[in-house]
Amino acid sequence: MAANHILYLTNTILVSLVANGGRISQRKTFPVSGGGASAFEAHVVGLRGLPTHVITDLAEEDFRLDTIPHVGSRDRQAVMARKLTQVFRNSTYRHAIAQGREPDGRRDHRVVYTAITNDEILKPWVEILQRLEVPVEGIYSSAVLSGRLLDALGLNFAHTLLVTFNPGGAVRQTYFRGKELRFSRLSPVDLEEGASLGTFLAEETTRTWQYLDSVRYFSPGDRLEVCVIAHPRDRAEIEPVLRDFEPMQNRLIDIEQAAGMVGMKPPPASSSTEALLAHVFLRRGEHNHFASQDLRRFAVIRRARIAIQAVSVAVLAIGLAYGGWNLSFLLQVSNKNQQSVDRALAIDAERDRLLKSIPSQGVAGQTMRDVVAFHSGSMRAYPTVASFLLPISAVLDRYPDIRLSQIEWQTADDEMATPTLVPIAPQAAPPIKALGPGKASSPATAVRVAAPAEGSFVTGRHAVAILEGTVRVDGLGYRNALEQVRNLVDELGRLDGYRAAMIDSPLDVTPKGGIQGKFGERTPASSQARFSLKVTLMTRPKP
Amino acid sequence: MSAVFSKDGVRGLRISWVLLALALVTSAALAAGSYWFLQQEKRDAITLAKRLQQSKARNDAVKREIEDMRASSTVFQDLLDRGILQEGSRLDFIERLDQLKNSHGLINLEYEIDPQRVLTLADGRVFNALDVMGSRVKLRLKALHEGDALAFLEDLSTPKRGFNAMSRCHLQRIERASADVSSPRVEASCTMEWISLKDKVKANAS
Repeated sequence: MAANHILYLTNTILVSLVANGGRISQRKTFPVSGGGASAFEAHVVGLRGLPTHVITDLAEEDFRLDTIPHVGSRDRQAVMARKLTQVFRNSTYRHAIAQGREPDGRRDHRVVYTAITNDEILKPWVEILQRLEVPVEGIYSSAVLSGRLLDALGLNFAHTLLVTFNPGGAVRQTYFRGKELRFSRLSPVDLEEGASLGTFLAEETTRTWQYLDSVRYFSPGDRLEVCVIAHPRDRAEIEPVLRDFEPMQNRLIDIEQAAGMVGMKPPPASSSTEALLAHVFLRRGEHNHFASQDLRRFAVIRRARIAIQAVSVAVLAIGLAYGGWNLSFLLQVSNKNQQSVDRALAIDAERDRLLKSIPSQGVAGQTMRDVVAFHSGSMRAYPTVASFLLPISAVLDRYPDIRLSQIEWQTADDEMATPTLVPIAPQAAPPIKALGPGKASSPATAVRVAAPAEGSFVTGRHAVAILEGTVRVDGLGYRNALEQVRNLVDELGRLDGYRAAMIDSPLDVTPKGGIQGKFGERTPASSQARFSLKVTLMTRPKP
Repeated sequence: MSAVFSKDGVRGLRISWVLLALALVTSAALAAGSYWFLQQEKRDAITLAKRLQQSKARNDAVKREIEDMRASSTVFQDLLDRGILQEGSRLDFIERLDQLKNSHGLINLEYEIDPQRVLTLADGRVFNALDVMGSRVKLRLKALHEGDALAFLEDLSTPKRGFNAMSRCHLQRIERASADVSSPRVEASCTMEWISLKDKVKANAS
């Protein structure tokens, strides 16, 4: 609990209480007359920063009961304010409290108006507080606050008369019906000769009961619980004198026990209840009763200052928190970045080490790769004429009637490539020859297809050859000759990697071409029929 | 609220308002600064991630290159031994032709060696570190037997040093007009590329 400054004003003295951390840490009294005000001003200078609460316990405090019709909350406040002005026209310090509603009829609101009827009592103190710019939070009626004390002590009766001693040598009697304040009066303790505090209290409480009874606060059978809060030192003087009778019962409340009940430490040293009330007030809080807005302005400014500073701290904290949050991520990312840099450097170092370990063999690695790639792609399986013809020769050995006359061979990237061949007519031409539409009477002529550009180097993925030869035809034995050439083509085609196709047949007997024959007196014994084949060898597939 | 903005309020709260303004500015600066630095660091992280990836990729490439080189080094050494990167000696070539002609009993051998040129590969492949150089050699020969001609061409195509690629060959049987057994029975006309490679890297360095 923050430090608070409580001023308890009576008709004779002003008590200054400084509460800190829930305890009354400082107590000082100032007489209301003489040099009390100047001493008080000097005292307050050191406490001007503390929120200050003024509790009045004055004989000049008046109470009026009233009822107002039930209206809305704002209207009720307006009615109460207007009536308060009417009731206490000349008082600056006035307050209205709506306490409850009538149980029947219009169910009007019960209101108690209270005011300090003499402003001059407060004036010197208020002027000092204003001059020193003391943050006055409010001015409170001790009688109203005593209702809080009743609650705190658990003294909840139908009719309660709370009797308290104030530091100004007076006794305040406050009557509560249920929890509603109905009446309060302050009596200075002015003991006549031979009288004791007990007899004084007995007389005063009896007189109060008589007054309350006269204004018909009690119904038959009602009993007034008189609760006297006193220090154990005064108990012996009070207790024997207080006499209970049918409508009134006395309860002597030990102020030390009461302090224990409300958690006040240390307990008050006398029967004076200002510290007890101050403690309950600080614990339970209370809205301002009498202080005007102008009087409270330094308190408002103080609260605003605290709020602005709290906002400043909050803003700064948010900034710091957000900055810290970003910073934590930043550190994480930065840490990762550093790791990335380290890893990159390590990888670079490893690469440098690897590059140094590359076997150079006198040339750059790229050169080595290119050389090997060129060799693998273009040279390693490059075909040769002999290797191409060797398997063909082995097949031809099985065909004694077939004789090759010329071979046009070339390497190619495409098996569709076909070398050009100038046909050679056989010496012993057959009596029958084909007349193809595109070939006319000349033997078959191959067509050059997609020959590589001059200067370019074919990779030798294929070897292509046109084989031209003759087959012996005995008499008109073309069937046998055709059969032999076809078989030759088939056998060549079955060789591993080879393909063979006939270009020019020994005799084209398909209907699309013409045939020209010339028979003399005798059929020739044998002749040579020309044919040509295309043979391809794929040395390696396309990559 | 009016008390806050009254003369007393303005005077009493002046420092608080200044503190609030300072707090706002400081907080905003902290927030903006830390955010900016964080974003900067994130951008750096992206850049570094790319750099790391590139480093890894380069490293992997080097590793692959080393593996390739280890696998290729034997082949390369053989090719080096065969003088793939050396410019062939024409005199050696001519002497070899003569030697092969004699050893295979060719009756006649004519040849023509064209100037060396940079070969372009028909399949469009390009080597960054190499120039493929080729000298076209045209041959015309006559032999008693086609076996001699083929053996000559085979030996010529597979030299111990260098690389010769026979690209075209025309073989034709010669019909004998007379009974002279020493007259040639086969003639051949061939085209060959005499290939060597030039190291562009080394050439540029020198």
